[in-house]
Amino acid sequence: MDYILEGFVEAIQLILSFDPEIYQIVSLSLFVSFTSTAVSTLIGVPAGIFLGIHQFRGKKWVSRLLYTFMSFPPVIIGLFTALLLSRSGPFGQYKLMYTSTAMIIAQTLLVTPIITGVIFNYTSGNGQIIVETGKTLGAKGFSLLLLIVTELRATIMIALVTGFGRAISEVGAVMIVGGNIKGYTRVMTTFIAMNNNMGEYSLSIAMGLILMTISFITNSILYKFVIGDLDELKN
Amino acid sequence: MNLKINQIKKIYGEKTVLSIQQENLVFRNGQINGIIGPNGSGKSTLMRIIADLTTATSGTIFYDNSPLDDDLRKLLTYASQQAFMLSKTVEENIRYPLKLRNYSKVDQQRIAAEQLETFQLEAIRTQKAKNLSGGEAQKTALARALSFSPKLLLLDEPTASIDPQSIKIIESALLKRKVDPSLNTIIITHNLSQAFRICDTLTFIHQGNILFTGLPDDLMHDPNPIIKEFISFN
Ligand SMILES: Nc1ncnc2c1ncn2[C@@H]1O[C@H](COP(=O)(O)OP(=O)(O)OP(=O)(O)O)[C@@H](O)[C@H]1O
Ligand SMILES: [Mg+2]
Repeated sequence: MDYILEGFVEAIQLILSFDPEIYQIVSLSLFVSFTSTAVSTLIGVPAGIFLGIHQFRGKKWVSRLLYTFMSFPPVIIGLFTALLLSRSGPFGQYKLMYTSTAMIIAQTLLVTPIITGVIFNYTSGNGQIIVETGKTLGAKGFSLLLLIVTELRATIMIALVTGFGRAISEVGAVMIVGGNIKGYTRVMTTFIAMNNNMGEYSLSIAMGLILMTISFITNSILYKFVIGDLDELKN
Repeated sequence: MNLKINQIKKIYGEKTVLSIQQENLVFRNGQINGIIGPNGSGKSTLMRIIADLTTATSGTIFYDNSPLDDDLRKLLTYASQQAFMLSKTVEENIRYPLKLRNYSKVDQQRIAAEQLETFQLEAIRTQKAKNLSGGEAQKTALARALSFSPKLLLLDEPTASIDPQSIKIIESALLKRKVDPSLNTIIITHNLSQAFRICDTLTFIHQGNILFTGLPDDLMHDPNPIIKEFISFN
Protein backbone atom coordinates (compact mmCIF):
# COMPACT_ATOMS: atom_id res chain seq x y z
CA MET A 1 0.00 0.00 0.00
CA ASP A 2 2.95 2.29 0.64
CA TYR A 3 3.63 2.77 -3.03
CA ILE A 4 0.34 4.59 -3.43
CA LEU A 5 1.19 7.11 -0.75
CA GLU A 6 4.73 7.41 -2.06
CA GLY A 7 3.31 7.88 -5.50
CA PHE A 8 1.21 10.80 -4.31
CA VAL A 9 4.12 12.47 -2.53
CA GLU A 10 6.37 12.08 -5.54
CA ALA A 11 3.60 13.25 -7.80
CA ILE A 12 3.19 16.49 -5.90
CA GLN A 13 6.94 17.04 -5.88
CA LEU A 14 6.93 16.47 -9.61
CA ILE A 15 4.17 18.97 -10.25
CA LEU A 16 5.91 21.58 -8.11
CA SER A 17 9.23 20.96 -9.84
CA PHE A 18 7.77 22.41 -13.03
CA ASP A 19 9.28 19.67 -15.15
CA PRO A 20 9.18 21.11 -18.68
CA GLU A 21 8.23 17.78 -20.21
CA ILE A 22 5.13 17.51 -18.08
CA TYR A 23 4.03 21.02 -18.92
CA GLN A 24 4.67 20.44 -22.59
CA ILE A 25 2.44 17.37 -22.46
CA VAL A 26 -0.29 19.24 -20.62
CA SER A 27 -0.25 22.13 -23.04
CA LEU A 28 -0.35 19.82 -26.06
CA SER A 29 -3.33 18.02 -24.52
CA LEU A 30 -5.13 21.28 -23.93
CA PHE A 31 -4.30 22.54 -27.41
CA VAL A 32 -5.54 19.36 -29.14
CA SER A 33 -8.73 19.10 -27.12
CA PHE A 34 -9.56 22.81 -27.24
CA THR A 35 -9.05 22.89 -30.99
CA SER A 36 -11.15 19.81 -31.62
CA THR A 37 -13.89 21.10 -29.31
CA ALA A 38 -13.84 24.47 -31.10
CA VAL A 39 -14.12 22.86 -34.53
CA SER A 40 -16.86 20.55 -33.24
CA THR A 41 -18.73 23.55 -31.88
CA LEU A 42 -18.66 25.32 -35.22
CA ILE A 43 -20.13 22.23 -36.85
CA GLY A 44 -22.22 20.77 -34.06
CA VAL A 45 -24.08 23.84 -32.78
CA PRO A 46 -25.57 24.91 -36.15
CA ALA A 47 -26.16 21.29 -37.14
CA GLY A 48 -27.89 20.49 -33.86
CA ILE A 49 -30.07 23.60 -34.10
CA PHE A 50 -30.94 22.94 -37.73
CA LEU A 51 -31.84 19.29 -37.18
CA GLY A 52 -33.66 20.07 -33.95
CA ILE A 53 -35.99 22.80 -35.13
CA HIS A 54 -36.94 21.32 -38.48
CA GLN A 55 -39.55 18.66 -38.92
CA PHE A 56 -38.61 16.21 -41.64
CA ARG A 57 -38.98 12.61 -42.65
CA GLY A 58 -36.46 10.35 -40.99
CA LYS A 59 -35.88 12.64 -38.01
CA LYS A 60 -36.19 9.61 -35.74
CA TRP A 61 -33.41 7.94 -37.67
CA VAL A 62 -31.20 10.97 -37.41
CA SER A 63 -31.59 11.00 -33.66
CA ARG A 64 -30.92 7.27 -33.40
CA LEU A 65 -27.82 7.67 -35.51
CA LEU A 66 -26.65 10.64 -33.46
CA TYR A 67 -27.05 8.81 -30.18
CA THR A 68 -25.15 5.84 -31.59
CA PHE A 69 -22.28 8.09 -32.67
CA MET A 70 -22.33 9.82 -29.29
CA SER A 71 -21.49 6.58 -27.56
CA PHE A 72 -18.90 5.32 -30.06
CA PRO A 73 -15.76 4.07 -28.32
CA PRO A 74 -12.77 6.36 -28.95
CA VAL A 75 -10.69 3.38 -30.12
CA ILE A 76 -13.11 2.81 -32.98
CA ILE A 77 -12.96 6.48 -33.92
CA GLY A 78 -9.17 6.27 -33.75
CA LEU A 79 -9.15 3.21 -35.95
CA PHE A 80 -11.47 4.85 -38.45
CA THR A 81 -9.34 8.01 -38.56
CA ALA A 82 -6.21 5.93 -38.95
CA LEU A 83 -7.72 4.12 -41.92
CA LEU A 84 -8.44 7.47 -43.55
CA LEU A 85 -5.05 9.00 -42.81
CA SER A 86 -2.67 6.07 -43.15
CA ARG A 87 -0.30 6.13 -46.06
CA SER A 88 -2.44 3.92 -48.29
CA GLY A 89 -5.71 5.55 -47.14
CA PRO A 90 -7.72 8.15 -49.06
CA PHE A 91 -5.97 11.07 -47.31
CA GLY A 92 -2.58 9.37 -47.08
CA GLN A 93 -0.91 11.92 -49.33
CA TYR A 94 -1.15 14.58 -46.61
CA LYS A 95 1.09 12.51 -44.27
CA LEU A 96 -0.99 13.35 -41.20
CA MET A 97 -0.67 10.08 -39.34
CA TYR A 98 1.14 10.46 -35.98
CA THR A 99 0.78 14.24 -35.88
CA SER A 100 -1.18 16.48 -33.57
CA THR A 101 -3.40 17.31 -36.55
CA ALA A 102 -4.41 13.66 -36.72
CA MET A 103 -5.29 13.76 -33.05
CA ILE A 104 -7.38 16.86 -33.59
CA ILE A 105 -9.20 15.21 -36.48
CA ALA A 106 -9.92 12.08 -34.46
CA GLN A 107 -11.17 14.04 -31.45
CA THR A 108 -13.29 16.24 -33.69
CA LEU A 109 -14.96 13.12 -35.06
CA LEU A 110 -15.48 11.99 -31.48
CA VAL A 111 -16.83 15.26 -30.10
CA THR A 112 -18.95 16.62 -32.96
CA PRO A 113 -21.74 14.04 -32.50
CA ILE A 114 -21.78 14.77 -28.77
CA ILE A 115 -22.22 18.51 -29.23
CA THR A 116 -24.69 18.01 -32.08
CA GLY A 117 -26.61 15.46 -30.02
CA VAL A 118 -26.93 17.60 -26.89
CA ILE A 119 -28.11 20.62 -28.90
CA PHE A 120 -30.39 18.49 -31.07
CA ASN A 121 -31.97 16.87 -28.07
CA TYR A 122 -32.79 20.20 -26.47
CA THR A 123 -33.95 22.06 -29.57
CA SER A 124 -36.18 19.18 -30.66
CA GLY A 125 -38.29 19.90 -27.63
CA ASN A 126 -37.84 23.62 -27.07
CA GLY A 127 -36.46 25.07 -30.28
CA GLN A 128 -39.75 25.46 -32.12
CA ILE A 129 -41.27 27.88 -29.61
CA ILE A 130 -38.14 30.04 -29.68
CA VAL A 131 -38.25 30.18 -33.47
CA GLU A 132 -41.95 31.00 -33.49
CA THR A 133 -41.61 33.72 -30.88
CA GLY A 134 -38.71 35.25 -32.77
CA LYS A 135 -40.59 35.15 -36.05
CA THR A 136 -43.71 36.79 -34.66
CA LEU A 137 -41.61 39.59 -33.21
CA GLY A 138 -39.81 40.22 -36.49
CA ALA A 139 -36.61 38.18 -36.29
CA LYS A 140 -35.45 36.31 -39.35
CA GLY A 141 -32.28 35.05 -40.96
CA PHE A 142 -29.27 36.09 -38.92
CA SER A 143 -31.22 37.83 -36.17
CA LEU A 144 -33.28 34.67 -35.70
CA LEU A 145 -30.15 32.51 -35.46
CA LEU A 146 -28.67 34.96 -32.98
CA LEU A 147 -31.81 34.76 -30.87
CA ILE A 148 -31.72 30.96 -30.88
CA VAL A 149 -28.07 30.88 -29.85
CA THR A 150 -28.69 33.41 -27.06
CA GLU A 151 -31.67 31.47 -25.77
CA LEU A 152 -29.70 28.23 -25.92
CA ARG A 153 -26.57 29.56 -24.24
CA ALA A 154 -26.79 27.30 -21.20
CA THR A 155 -27.35 24.21 -23.34
CA ILE A 156 -24.48 25.20 -25.63
CA MET A 157 -22.19 25.58 -22.62
CA ILE A 158 -23.21 22.16 -21.33
CA ALA A 159 -22.55 20.67 -24.76
CA LEU A 160 -19.12 22.30 -24.93
CA VAL A 161 -18.02 21.17 -21.52
CA THR A 162 -19.32 17.66 -22.10
CA GLY A 163 -17.51 17.50 -25.43
CA PHE A 164 -14.28 18.92 -24.03
CA GLY A 165 -14.42 16.54 -21.08
CA ARG A 166 -14.75 13.62 -23.44
CA ALA A 167 -11.89 14.84 -25.64
CA ILE A 168 -9.39 15.57 -22.88
CA SER A 169 -10.02 12.27 -21.11
CA GLU A 170 -10.06 9.83 -24.01
CA VAL A 171 -7.01 7.72 -24.66
CA GLY A 172 -7.97 5.27 -27.42
CA ALA A 173 -8.16 7.65 -30.35
CA VAL A 174 -5.07 9.76 -29.62
CA MET A 175 -3.08 6.62 -28.93
CA ILE A 176 -3.90 5.12 -32.32
CA VAL A 177 -3.54 8.18 -34.53
CA GLY A 178 -0.95 10.05 -32.43
CA GLY A 179 1.22 7.16 -31.37
CA ASN A 180 2.33 8.70 -28.04
CA ILE A 181 5.58 10.03 -29.54
CA LYS A 182 7.69 11.76 -26.90
CA GLY A 183 7.80 15.52 -27.33
CA TYR A 184 5.54 15.35 -30.33
CA THR A 185 2.20 13.59 -29.85
CA ARG A 186 2.36 12.58 -26.23
CA VAL A 187 -0.68 13.82 -24.30
CA MET A 188 -1.81 13.39 -20.72
CA THR A 189 -3.84 10.26 -21.16
CA THR A 190 -1.30 8.38 -23.28
CA PHE A 191 1.38 9.47 -20.82
CA ILE A 192 -0.59 7.98 -17.94
CA ALA A 193 -1.27 4.74 -19.76
CA MET A 194 2.38 4.36 -20.74
CA ASN A 195 3.83 5.08 -17.31
CA ASN A 196 1.33 2.81 -15.69
CA ASN A 197 2.48 0.01 -17.97
CA MET A 198 6.07 0.68 -17.00
CA GLY A 199 5.30 0.67 -13.30
CA GLU A 200 6.06 4.40 -12.93
CA TYR A 201 3.09 5.01 -10.69
CA SER A 202 4.14 8.39 -9.34
CA LEU A 203 4.31 9.83 -12.82
CA SER A 204 0.88 8.41 -13.62
CA ILE A 205 -0.55 9.79 -10.42
CA ALA A 206 0.99 13.20 -11.00
CA MET A 207 -0.53 13.45 -14.45
CA GLY A 208 -3.78 12.00 -13.17
CA LEU A 209 -3.96 14.76 -10.58
CA ILE A 210 -3.39 17.40 -13.23
CA LEU A 211 -6.06 15.87 -15.46
CA MET A 212 -8.53 15.81 -12.60
CA THR A 213 -7.74 19.42 -11.75
CA ILE A 214 -8.44 20.44 -15.32
CA SER A 215 -11.77 18.57 -15.29
CA PHE A 216 -12.60 20.22 -12.03
CA ILE A 217 -11.84 23.67 -13.39
CA THR A 218 -13.87 23.22 -16.57
CA ASN A 219 -16.80 21.87 -14.60
CA SER A 220 -16.58 24.73 -12.13
CA ILE A 221 -16.73 27.15 -15.00
CA LEU A 222 -19.82 25.35 -16.24
CA TYR A 223 -21.46 25.63 -12.86
CA LYS A 224 -20.51 29.26 -12.38
CA PHE A 225 -21.77 30.43 -15.73
CA VAL A 226 -24.55 28.01 -16.43
CA ILE A 227 -26.17 26.35 -13.50
CA GLY A 228 -26.63 29.76 -11.87
CA ASP A 229 -28.27 30.96 -15.06
CA LEU A 230 -30.42 28.03 -15.99
CA ASP A 231 -33.23 30.18 -17.34
CA GLU A 232 -33.76 28.30 -20.52
CA LEU A 233 -33.97 24.96 -18.77
CA LYS A 234 -37.01 26.18 -16.89
CA ASN A 235 -39.28 26.01 -19.90
CA MET B 1 -55.68 47.77 -44.63
CA ASN B 2 -57.98 44.82 -44.71
CA LEU B 3 -57.23 41.16 -44.33
CA LYS B 4 -59.00 38.86 -46.73
CA ILE B 5 -59.16 35.12 -46.21
CA ASN B 6 -59.85 33.04 -49.27
CA GLN B 7 -60.83 29.36 -48.93
CA ILE B 8 -58.10 28.44 -46.47
CA LYS B 9 -57.82 24.75 -45.80
CA LYS B 10 -55.53 22.90 -43.42
CA ILE B 11 -55.14 19.15 -43.28
CA TYR B 12 -52.98 17.38 -40.70
CA GLY B 13 -52.36 13.87 -41.92
CA GLU B 14 -55.86 12.65 -42.65
CA LYS B 15 -57.66 15.17 -40.51
CA THR B 16 -59.10 18.36 -41.95
CA VAL B 17 -58.87 20.88 -39.13
CA LEU B 18 -59.73 23.97 -41.11
CA SER B 19 -61.87 24.27 -44.18
CA ILE B 20 -63.04 27.79 -44.87
CA GLN B 21 -65.53 27.79 -47.73
CA GLN B 22 -65.80 31.57 -47.97
CA GLU B 23 -63.90 33.19 -50.82
CA ASN B 24 -63.95 36.53 -49.23
CA LEU B 25 -63.84 36.53 -45.49
CA VAL B 26 -62.76 40.05 -44.57
CA PHE B 27 -61.35 41.34 -41.32
CA ARG B 28 -61.49 45.11 -41.52
CA ASN B 29 -59.06 47.69 -40.29
CA GLY B 30 -59.91 50.05 -37.50
CA GLN B 31 -61.91 47.27 -35.89
CA ILE B 32 -61.49 44.61 -33.30
CA ASN B 33 -62.50 41.36 -34.91
CA GLY B 34 -63.34 38.51 -32.59
CA ILE B 35 -63.04 34.81 -33.34
CA ILE B 36 -64.97 32.42 -31.15
CA GLY B 37 -65.74 28.72 -31.17
CA PRO B 38 -65.26 25.53 -29.19
CA ASN B 39 -61.91 23.94 -28.32
CA GLY B 40 -60.19 22.35 -31.28
CA SER B 41 -62.36 24.14 -33.84
CA GLY B 42 -59.36 25.59 -35.68
CA LYS B 43 -59.11 29.14 -34.30
CA SER B 44 -55.43 29.01 -33.44
CA THR B 45 -54.68 27.17 -36.65
CA LEU B 46 -56.19 30.02 -38.65
CA MET B 47 -54.12 32.59 -36.77
CA ARG B 48 -50.96 30.56 -37.12
CA ILE B 49 -51.52 30.38 -40.86
CA ILE B 50 -51.96 34.14 -41.07
CA ALA B 51 -48.74 34.59 -39.06
CA ASP B 52 -46.91 32.07 -41.27
CA LEU B 53 -46.13 29.72 -38.41
CA THR B 54 -48.06 26.99 -40.20
CA THR B 55 -48.57 26.69 -43.94
CA ALA B 56 -52.07 26.25 -45.29
CA THR B 57 -52.76 23.17 -47.34
CA SER B 58 -54.55 25.40 -49.82
CA GLY B 59 -56.09 28.84 -50.11
CA THR B 60 -54.74 32.37 -50.04
CA ILE B 61 -54.65 35.37 -47.74
CA PHE B 62 -54.66 38.93 -49.01
CA TYR B 63 -53.65 42.01 -47.15
CA ASP B 64 -55.23 44.91 -48.99
CA ASN B 65 -55.46 43.07 -52.28
CA SER B 66 -51.83 41.85 -52.27
CA PRO B 67 -51.02 38.31 -51.21
CA LEU B 68 -49.69 38.35 -47.65
CA ASP B 69 -45.94 37.90 -48.11
CA ASP B 70 -42.87 38.24 -45.90
CA ASP B 71 -42.66 41.98 -46.42
CA LEU B 72 -46.23 42.54 -45.34
CA ARG B 73 -45.82 40.09 -42.49
CA LYS B 74 -43.28 42.48 -40.95
CA LEU B 75 -46.32 44.58 -40.04
CA LEU B 76 -48.05 41.85 -38.09
CA THR B 77 -47.51 40.11 -34.82
CA TYR B 78 -49.04 37.08 -33.17
CA ALA B 79 -49.29 36.74 -29.42
CA SER B 80 -49.66 33.03 -28.83
CA GLN B 81 -51.93 31.26 -26.39
CA GLN B 82 -48.76 30.21 -24.53
CA ALA B 83 -46.66 33.30 -23.96
CA PHE B 84 -42.99 32.48 -24.37
CA MET B 85 -40.62 34.77 -22.53
CA LEU B 86 -37.09 35.29 -23.80
CA SER B 87 -34.40 34.80 -21.17
CA LYS B 88 -34.07 38.51 -20.59
CA THR B 89 -35.69 40.96 -18.22
CA VAL B 90 -39.29 42.08 -18.65
CA GLU B 91 -38.16 45.41 -20.09
CA GLU B 92 -35.69 43.77 -22.48
CA ASN B 93 -38.46 41.48 -23.70
CA ILE B 94 -40.60 44.49 -24.50
CA ARG B 95 -37.71 46.25 -26.23
CA TYR B 96 -36.69 43.23 -28.30
CA PRO B 97 -38.97 43.91 -31.33
CA LEU B 98 -37.80 47.54 -31.29
CA LYS B 99 -34.17 46.50 -31.23
CA LEU B 100 -34.79 44.25 -34.22
CA ARG B 101 -36.26 47.21 -36.08
CA ASN B 102 -33.29 49.43 -35.25
CA TYR B 103 -35.17 51.93 -33.09
CA SER B 104 -32.82 54.33 -31.34
CA LYS B 105 -31.98 53.66 -27.69
CA VAL B 106 -33.98 56.71 -26.66
CA ASP B 107 -37.08 55.56 -28.54
CA GLN B 108 -36.73 52.05 -27.18
CA GLN B 109 -36.60 53.41 -23.67
CA ARG B 110 -39.53 55.74 -24.16
CA ILE B 111 -41.79 53.12 -25.76
CA ALA B 112 -40.86 50.48 -23.20
CA ALA B 113 -41.69 52.92 -20.42
CA GLU B 114 -45.09 53.61 -21.99
CA GLN B 115 -45.84 49.93 -22.36
CA LEU B 116 -44.73 49.13 -18.81
CA GLU B 117 -47.05 51.83 -17.57
CA THR B 118 -50.01 50.81 -19.71
CA PHE B 119 -49.86 47.21 -18.56
CA GLN B 120 -48.83 48.10 -15.01
CA LEU B 121 -45.62 46.14 -15.18
CA GLU B 122 -43.30 48.79 -13.77
CA ALA B 123 -42.81 46.91 -10.51
CA ILE B 124 -41.37 43.91 -12.33
CA ARG B 125 -39.47 45.83 -15.00
CA THR B 126 -36.04 44.37 -14.13
CA GLN B 127 -37.24 40.91 -13.20
CA LYS B 128 -36.16 37.93 -15.29
CA ALA B 129 -39.10 37.21 -17.53
CA LYS B 130 -38.71 33.45 -17.20
CA ASN B 131 -39.69 33.71 -13.55
CA LEU B 132 -42.98 35.53 -14.16
CA SER B 133 -46.35 34.14 -13.22
CA GLY B 134 -48.63 33.05 -16.03
CA GLY B 135 -50.64 36.24 -16.04
CA GLU B 136 -47.59 38.50 -15.76
CA ALA B 137 -46.02 36.67 -18.68
CA GLN B 138 -49.16 37.10 -20.74
CA LYS B 139 -49.24 40.83 -20.02
CA THR B 140 -45.56 41.14 -20.86
CA ALA B 141 -46.13 39.25 -24.10
CA LEU B 142 -48.89 41.67 -24.99
CA ALA B 143 -46.79 44.71 -24.14
CA ARG B 144 -44.02 43.21 -26.28
CA ALA B 145 -46.31 42.48 -29.20
CA LEU B 146 -47.75 45.99 -29.16
CA SER B 147 -44.42 47.75 -28.70
CA PHE B 148 -43.60 48.24 -32.37
CA SER B 149 -47.15 49.33 -33.27
CA PRO B 150 -48.01 46.47 -35.61
CA LYS B 151 -50.68 47.05 -38.21
CA LEU B 152 -52.15 43.59 -37.82
CA LEU B 153 -52.46 42.31 -34.30
CA LEU B 154 -53.26 38.63 -33.82
CA LEU B 155 -54.14 37.81 -30.24
CA ASP B 156 -54.78 34.23 -29.21
CA GLU B 157 -56.74 34.25 -25.95
CA PRO B 158 -54.76 37.17 -24.53
CA THR B 159 -56.70 37.29 -21.28
CA ALA B 160 -57.06 33.58 -20.59
CA SER B 161 -55.11 33.54 -17.32
CA ILE B 162 -55.56 37.16 -16.31
CA ASP B 163 -57.28 38.58 -13.27
CA PRO B 164 -60.43 40.72 -13.76
CA GLN B 165 -58.71 44.00 -13.01
CA SER B 166 -55.91 43.31 -15.49
CA ILE B 167 -58.46 42.20 -18.07
CA LYS B 168 -59.95 45.68 -17.82
CA ILE B 169 -56.52 47.21 -18.35
CA ILE B 170 -55.88 45.06 -21.41
CA GLU B 171 -59.29 45.69 -22.91
CA SER B 172 -58.99 49.41 -22.56
CA ALA B 173 -55.47 49.31 -24.02
CA LEU B 174 -56.87 47.51 -27.06
CA LEU B 175 -59.79 49.90 -27.38
CA LYS B 176 -57.44 52.86 -27.12
CA ARG B 177 -55.36 51.51 -30.00
CA LYS B 178 -58.46 51.49 -32.17
CA VAL B 179 -58.06 55.21 -32.83
CA ASP B 180 -55.51 54.12 -35.41
CA PRO B 181 -57.75 53.41 -38.41
CA SER B 182 -55.07 51.33 -40.09
CA LEU B 183 -54.74 48.91 -37.19
CA ASN B 184 -56.44 45.58 -37.61
CA THR B 185 -56.95 43.59 -34.42
CA ILE B 186 -58.07 39.98 -34.47
CA ILE B 187 -58.69 38.35 -31.14
CA ILE B 188 -59.59 34.81 -30.17
CA THR B 189 -61.54 34.57 -26.96
CA HIS B 190 -63.62 32.08 -25.02
CA ASN B 191 -65.12 34.88 -23.03
CA LEU B 192 -68.33 35.83 -24.83
CA SER B 193 -69.06 38.83 -22.68
CA GLN B 194 -65.56 40.10 -23.44
CA ALA B 195 -66.27 39.55 -27.12
CA PHE B 196 -69.38 41.68 -26.80
CA ARG B 197 -67.56 44.36 -24.83
CA ILE B 198 -64.74 44.98 -27.27
CA CYS B 199 -65.39 43.34 -30.64
CA ASP B 200 -66.89 45.10 -33.63
CA THR B 201 -67.37 41.85 -35.52
CA LEU B 202 -67.51 38.22 -34.52
CA THR B 203 -66.64 35.10 -36.46
CA PHE B 204 -67.78 31.73 -35.23
CA ILE B 205 -65.73 28.66 -36.15
CA HIS B 206 -66.99 25.16 -35.63
CA GLN B 207 -65.05 22.05 -36.73
CA GLY B 208 -62.99 24.10 -39.13
CA ASN B 209 -65.96 25.75 -40.78
CA ILE B 210 -67.08 29.31 -40.43
CA LEU B 211 -70.73 29.27 -39.46
CA PHE B 212 -71.12 32.96 -38.84
CA THR B 213 -69.36 36.21 -39.46
CA GLY B 214 -70.91 39.59 -38.80
CA LEU B 215 -72.05 41.94 -36.08
CA PRO B 216 -72.16 40.62 -32.51
CA ASP B 217 -75.87 41.41 -32.20
CA ASP B 218 -76.68 39.36 -35.27
CA LEU B 219 -74.83 36.40 -33.80
CA MET B 220 -77.27 36.40 -30.91
CA HIS B 221 -80.18 36.02 -33.28
CA ASP B 222 -78.61 33.52 -35.65
CA PRO B 223 -80.94 30.57 -36.21
CA ASN B 224 -78.15 27.97 -36.52
CA PRO B 225 -78.73 25.46 -33.68
CA ILE B 226 -74.98 24.95 -33.13
CA ILE B 227 -74.52 28.66 -32.53
CA LYS B 228 -77.66 28.81 -30.38
CA GLU B 229 -76.32 26.05 -28.20
CA PHE B 230 -72.86 27.62 -27.98
CA ILE B 231 -74.34 30.91 -26.84
CA SER B 232 -76.64 29.29 -24.33
CA PHE B 233 -73.63 27.91 -22.45
CA ASN B 234 -71.98 31.29 -22.10
N1 LIG C 1 -49.40 20.15 -35.37
C1 LIG C 1 -50.58 19.52 -35.37
N2 LIG C 1 -50.66 18.24 -35.78
C2 LIG C 1 -51.85 17.60 -35.79
N3 LIG C 1 -53.02 18.15 -35.42
C3 LIG C 1 -52.99 19.41 -35.00
C4 LIG C 1 -51.78 20.17 -34.96
N4 LIG C 1 -52.06 21.41 -34.50
C5 LIG C 1 -53.38 21.42 -34.26
N5 LIG C 1 -53.95 20.23 -34.57
C6 LIG C 1 -55.37 19.89 -34.44
O1 LIG C 1 -56.11 20.86 -35.11
C7 LIG C 1 -57.34 21.09 -34.44
C8 LIG C 1 -57.54 22.57 -34.25
O2 LIG C 1 -56.60 23.05 -33.34
P1 LIG C 1 -56.53 24.57 -32.89
O3 LIG C 1 -55.37 24.74 -32.01
O4 LIG C 1 -56.61 25.42 -34.10
O5 LIG C 1 -57.88 24.70 -32.06
P2 LIG C 1 -58.45 25.97 -31.31
O6 LIG C 1 -59.73 26.32 -31.95
O7 LIG C 1 -57.44 27.03 -31.19
O8 LIG C 1 -58.76 25.34 -29.88
P3 LIG C 1 -58.59 25.96 -28.40
O9 LIG C 1 -59.85 26.72 -28.12
O10 LIG C 1 -58.53 24.75 -27.53
O11 LIG C 1 -57.37 26.78 -28.36
C9 LIG C 1 -57.28 20.31 -33.14
O12 LIG C 1 -58.08 19.17 -33.27
C10 LIG C 1 -55.82 19.92 -33.01
O13 LIG C 1 -55.72 18.67 -32.43
MG1 LIG D 1 -56.30 27.81 -29.64
